[in-house]
Amino acid sequence: MPGCQGVKVEAGVSPALCRNCKSQDKPGNLPRFAPQSTFSELGGGLDDTITHITQPITELGYFFSEVIMKKTIPILCVLLLLVVSACQAASTASPQPTTTTETSGGIATPEANSQLPITIRYAKGFTLEYKDNYKILTVTQPWAGAEQAFTYVLVPRGSEPPAEVSSALIVEVPVHSFVAMSTTYFPFLENIGKLDALVAVDDATYIYNPSVREKAASGEIAVVGGGMGGPSANIERLLELDPDVIMTSASGIPELDVYPKLQEVGLPVVINGDYLEQTPLGRAEWGIFIAAFFDLEQQASQQFDALVQRYEEVSALAANVQERVTVFTNTDYQGTWYMPAGESYAAILLKDAGAEYLWADQPGTGALPLSFETVFERAKDADFWLNPGFAASLQDLLAMDARYAEFKAFQTGQVFNYNARVTEAGGMDYFESGVANPDMILKDLVKIFYPELLPDYDLYYYQQLK
Amino acid sequence: MHATPTPEVPQSPAPPASRNPGRIGLFIVLLLILALVFVASLSLGSVSIPLREVVRILTGEPALKESWGTIVLDFRLTKSITAVLVGGALSLAGLQMQTMFRNPLADPFILGVNSGASLGVALVVLSLGTAGTALLAGLGTLGDLSLALAASVGAGLVLALILLVGQRVKNPTTLLIMGLMFGYAASALTSLLIYFSRPERIQAYTIWSYGSFSGVTWNQLRVMAPVILVGLGVAILLTKPLNALLLGEDYARSMGLNVKQARFFILLSASLLAGTVTAFCGPIGFIGVAVPHLCRNLLRSADHKVLIPAVILVGAIAALVADAIAQLPGSQYVLPINVVTSLFGAPFVIWVLIRQRRGATSFTV
Repeated sequence: MPGCQGVKVEAGVSPALCRNCKSQDKPGNLPRFAPQSTFSELGGGLDDTITHITQPITELGYFFSEVIMKKTIPILCVLLLLVVSACQAASTASPQPTTTTETSGGIATPEANSQLPITIRYAKGFTLEYKDNYKILTVTQPWAGAEQAFTYVLVPRGSEPPAEVSSALIVEVPVHSFVAMSTTYFPFLENIGKLDALVAVDDATYIYNPSVREKAASGEIAVVGGGMGGPSANIERLLELDPDVIMTSASGIPELDVYPKLQEVGLPVVINGDYLEQTPLGRAEWGIFIAAFFDLEQQASQQFDALVQRYEEVSALAANVQERVTVFTNTDYQGTWYMPAGESYAAILLKDAGAEYLWADQPGTGALPLSFETVFERAKDADFWLNPGFAASLQDLLAMDARYAEFKAFQTGQVFNYNARVTEAGGMDYFESGVANPDMILKDLVKIFYPELLPDYDLYYYQQLK
Repeated sequence: MHATPTPEVPQSPAPPASRNPGRIGLFIVLLLILALVFVASLSLGSVSIPLREVVRILTGEPALKESWGTIVLDFRLTKSITAVLVGGALSLAGLQMQTMFRNPLADPFILGVNSGASLGVALVVLSLGTAGTALLAGLGTLGDLSLALAASVGAGLVLALILLVGQRVKNPTTLLIMGLMFGYAASALTSLLIYFSRPERIQAYTIWSYGSFSGVTWNQLRVMAPVILVGLGVAILLTKPLNALLLGEDYARSMGLNVKQARFFILLSASLLAGTVTAFCGPIGFIGVAVPHLCRNLLRSADHKVLIPAVILVGAIAALVADAIAQLPGSQYVLPINVVTSLFGAPFVIWVLIRQRRGATSFTV
C-alpha cells in the first residue's frame, strides 16, 4: 500500500513500505532491513540506499532471497497460517481476553500488582509478564531475523530493582517523560491520555498530529534526531532532557541504529518492533506495550479489545458479500511493480475487507518485484486500484506513465489513495495514526469496495483520485 | 569472426581495413544478430505470447487476446527500441570519451553528466513539502516527460560547465579531473537531499538509479529518439577528428585539426547522448565502457570508421540481450538492468580480453 504523487519514479514508494516503516519520517529507514522484514514489503529496492545506490550484487542477492524465500517457504507459510488461524479461532472463541491463559504472546500471572493480567493475542514481537511487584516486557523480535531479545524490567517508582534481572534495563514506572523516535507512538500515547508526557521527537517535519506539531514548532517538544537513517541523535540534548524512557525502532545494524549509542551513555532506550508485525491487529496491539510504561496497560488492553471487536464487526460485514471486487495496488517504478505478497499487511487488510486481491495467492510477507506487463495482464480489468504511490490525482498518474490509462480501474475512476489526511510538508496520518486504528483503515476499504454496506460512513484515510 | 590476422599496427588508422571483405561480413552478421535479438526481445517477457501472435500484432492484425496487443506495442516495442537507442548511444559516447582522454577506463559519464541528471531527478523526487508538490504539479502538465526534463536540465547544466571549462583548459587530463569534481559536487547535493528525505521517496529515487528501459513510453520516445539520433549524427561526423586524436593532441594539431573545436563537438555529442539516456532510463552502467573494448577486440582495429558503426551495433545488441535477461522470461519478476549488464557482462568481457590479449592494448594505438 503505497502512497504517492508525481513522477513515475516517485511512485516507487511502496505504500507497504511506508506503512511498515513506523518511522516514515526518517529517511533511509528502510534500507538495510533484512529481506523478510516488513521493509521488504517495499520490495527491497531500498536495500542499499544509504550506502550506495548501485550495488548490483546486493540487489540481486536480495532479489534471489525474495524468490528463494517464496519457493521454499510455502510449506512454512501454510503451517504458520494454520497456527495463526487456530490461535485466532481460539481467541474468538474466548472473547474475554483478561483470563489468565497463555497464548501466542504473553504470559500472565494472576494477582500481580492487584492488576488483572493481560494477554497479548495478536502481536508476535513482545511478551508481558507479571512478577511479584514488577513487570517484565520482552521484545522477542526487535528487528527482522533478530536472535537476541531485549528485556525491560518495569518496577514501581522508588522500589528496589529485583536482583535476578540485573542485566536488563530497569525502568521506574509510571514514566513521566517519553521520547518518541517514531510518529507511530503518538496515537497510542494519545489513547491513554499521555501525549503530554512526550518531551522530544526525532524529527518534526512529517508529524501529522496537530498538537505535537505545534509543540515541536514552539520548542515545547525538543527535536533530537536519531531516527533511523536521519540526522544522528543529539546525545547531549537527550542527556540534558534526562527522559524516563526513549522509544525507538531498530534495524539490527549497530552502525545505523541509535540504541547502542544511547545505551552507551546510559540513557533508558527501549526498542519497539511494531512495524515487524504482519497483521494489522498485531501492530495495533503494541499500544499495550507503550501503555505498560505508564502503568496504563489495563486501559490500553480494554481499548484494544474494543478495537478488535470493531475490526471484526467491519470484517464480518464484508465477509458475506456475494460478488467480490478485484483489487491491485501500488504503481510501476521504472519497469518494476512492487506488489505486496499474499501474506503482507496490505494483503491481509484487503482480504479482511472482503476484496479479492489479485496477488493473494503469492506466499510471502514482502513485496514481489513484478514486471509492468505481468501486472497489466492480470490487473487490466480489475475493479479497484489502491495506493497508487504518490499520486494525488488521476492526472498525476498519467504524468507518471501514460499507460496507466489502459487499466479499467483508471477508466472508471476507481482509484483510491490513503492521502486524505496529509500535512503541507507531506506528513501522512495513514502512517502515523493508521497503525493504531486498523479498524478505521478497514472501514475505509469496505466503504470503497462495498459502499452500500456502510452508507453513512465517510472515508477517513482514503480518498478517491479525481 | 575477424579477418585481419596481422597485429594492430600503431600508426594512422588503416584506410584499407575498412574495405576488408571480412569486415563487411562481420557487419552483416552483426546486423542479423541485432534483428534476431530485436524480434526475440519482442516475444520474450513475463507474459508468454507466441511468436506468431507477436508477428500478427506487429502487422496490425488483432491479437488473440486484447491485452497482448497493448503488451507488445506499448510495453515491449517501446522497451526494445529504447534498448537499441540506449545501447548505441552509450557505446558510442564511451568510445568517444576513451579516445579523447586516451583512457581505457573512461565511460560516457566520466565528466559527471549522469551526476547532474541524478541531481535533477533527486530534486524532483526528493523535494519536500509544498514546494515539491507545486513543482510536481507544474511538471505534471508535461505528461510523463517531467522526470526526463528534470534530468535533462541537470545533465545540461553539467554539460555547459564542461564545455565552458573545456574551452579554457589545454590538458585533457585537467578536464577529466574537473568533470570528476563536478560529478562529486552534484553527488554530494544529491546525498544531502537523500539525507533529509523520506524513506518512500528515497526508495523511488533509488529505483530510478537502478536504470530501466521499461519506463520509457511512446510519448517519451518521441522526444528521446530524435535527440539521440542527432547525437549519433554529430558523433559520426567526428570520425576523422577522433582518429587524429588517437595519436595525441599534438599530432592531431600537426595534421591540421582544430583541436579545440573538435573537442567541443565531441564533448557536446557524448554528453548529449549520455545525458539523454540518463534522463529517460536512469544511469545505465557498464555498456559504455565495455562495448568499445569488445569492438576493438572484435575488429582488431582502432579506426573509428569501422569502430563507430560496430559499437552502435554491438551496443544495441548488448542492451537488448541484457534487457531480455532482466525480464527473466517466463517468470513474473524483473531484475534491475544495471545488475544484469554488470553481472553477466563483466565475465564475458574478461573472457574476451583474455582470449585476445593483443587486442586489449589496441586502443592506445
